[in-house]
Amino acid sequence: MRRTGLWYVRGTRMWGDRLGGDAMALNGAMEGKEYPALSFVVDEERVHRFATAVGDDGTFVPPTFVTAPEFAAGLTQVAADAELGLDLARVVHGEQGYDWSRPVRVGETLTVRSTIESIRAKGGMELLTLRTEMRGADDELVVVGRSTLIVRSRA
Amino acid sequence: MTLHLGDVRVGYEIPALAKVLTREDVRAYADASGDQNPLHQDDEVARSAGFPGMVAHGMFTMAHLASCLARWLGDPAALRRLRVQFRAPVFMGETIVAGGAVRSVDPVRRRAVLDVWVTVEREGGTEHAIKRGEAEVDLA
Repeated sequence: MRRTGLWYVRGTRMWGDRLGGDAMALNGAMEGKEYPALSFVVDEERVHRFATAVGDDGTFVPPTFVTAPEFAAGLTQVAADAELGLDLARVVHGEQGYDWSRPVRVGETLTVRSTIESIRAKGGMELLTLRTEMRGADDELVVVGRSTLIVRSRA
Repeated sequence: MTLHLGDVRVGYEIPALAKVLTREDVRAYADASGDQNPLHQDDEVARSAGFPGMVAHGMFTMAHLASCLARWLGDPAALRRLRVQFRAPVFMGETIVAGGAVRSVDPVRRRAVLDVWVTVEREGGTEHAIKRGEAEVDLA
């Protein structure tokens, strides 16, 4: 049953075989590190493209549009951080959460700040949790994103 | 049209929302979200990683779930919290179905908590792209 399911299992095994070893990839001392804040303009055209892709009717900003600023301030900086040692080729997105204080508005500028909330080992893998805060014009909290990445161990 | 406290009961299942995954939508999502990982844009890259073809972003399935909730709520601002675990990858041509059920209702705070999920039918079985999701919503 489930040919594609088997493919997935095979993929996982393949990675396991190739990577073997127990060397941990991430620098645990980076827990708590805060990355430089980024300004993100909620551009109407980009919101429209996002809404169309996910099948919304375009009458509102899709709640998960906040993934775009979160990605720009978070994963983009984290992946470029040589001190941390994250290899994107070994990353799987494990969990995601958002807590909205209010919806995002078209045209507003968000200040987006990402922090490494935790780095934990679990069953031969590592879990990196990134917390991203997005604030509006008066420093008012708009949404908090929490992203947990699963990192397979290095060969 | 906003959802009222009286409209919601524990155990109530929200209307499911289905979507067929297409390359066009997933590539457009990659551009709009900024997540340009080639696993989500290129069949060859995905195959070399052990998948049968291009994989949709986990976040694409979460966006679909949020879409389902926003439609049910009638007001996207009523969605206050959404947490998910990504379980199975999903592929182009497959149909993802978002759904949920009301777990609890707090009449004082006028809030409800829902169990939410995204499934895919695959060769006679049901797999979860998103399992153990949780949403919290405001009720008028």
